[in-house]
Amino acid sequence: MTWLGLSPEQLLEYVGFLLVAGVSLVSALGVLFAPRVLHAAVWLLFALLGVAGVFALLGAHVLFAVQVLVYAGAIAVMIIFAVVLLERGTDRGILAGNRHLFAGVVAAGAFAVVVVPSLVATVVTVGLPASAGPGPTVQENVWVIGRLFLTRHILAFELISVVLLVSMIGAIVLARADRRGEAEETVAPGTGDPEPAPEAAEEAKAS
Amino acid sequence: MSLPPVGLAHYLILAALLFAMGLFAVITRRHAIGVLLGIELMLNAANINLVAFNRYGPLAESADGQVFALMVIALAACEAAVGLALIIRLYQTLATVEPDDAASMKW
Repeated sequence: MTWLGLSPEQLLEYVGFLLVAGVSLVSALGVLFAPRVLHAAVWLLFALLGVAGVFALLGAHVLFAVQVLVYAGAIAVMIIFAVVLLERGTDRGILAGNRHLFAGVVAAGAFAVVVVPSLVATVVTVGLPASAGPGPTVQENVWVIGRLFLTRHILAFELISVVLLVSMIGAIVLARADRRGEAEETVAPGTGDPEPAPEAAEEAKAS
Repeated sequence: MSLPPVGLAHYLILAALLFAMGLFAVITRRHAIGVLLGIELMLNAANINLVAFNRYGPLAESADGQVFALMVIALAACEAAVGLALIIRLYQTLATVEPDDAASMKW
């Protein structure tokens, strides 16, 4: 039994792909055009979950779990947290009077107009692999990735932990407000309220 | 009429569209965190490419592309942490979160 030339399994895969691709693309549109950054961050959360669905379709079970836990669970929530910390009447819409709009349309449009038709042309002329056989089971996927991390990619695995440590220390050092010598300039002592230095604010307005 | 089954090209086109949208967000968003959101979209598009090539390529058994994608996710976490710290610092010193206003080192 076929429908549109697809077997039931292929049809199911097609429906799943359209679902996760639609969620990802619509949520990405929300990231682009949501007027408030907080809303854009929440749209990013849904886009990340859509990409997690793409990983699940591709048989990357470990990546699916990591995407949901680390990206959607940690990174997106951290971004939303930072937006809430910073958002004090600083939002303006993306479209109104934006002098980068033309550059953005040209760059993104040129990228899409060059890459997507060349991909389609490649499929038509050369052909890309269309079927990959059954994907790995969860156990196989976990086993293979764990083994790769501790054998072939062990150096990268160790280095990435150093990078994580360095970036964690760097983030703490950068975000700490009351560094000695600068405390009087940036933060009124005792209040803990991060009032900006008046001369710095004036410079920002003048430039 | 018959549709081609879901293959490598579908995932590559999805990734290309996501990348283009991330690029658009990076250029046009006026809030620094919006720029960061665009970067996350672009990183995710690159991850889709890595995993799709791994699945449909000749080394589908070995999952090296998925290991690459895991590294990219770890680096994205680092980048988000440092980037958000920089944005908070920018807000504390210049009282702005718009990248255009922090242009004193531009020329």
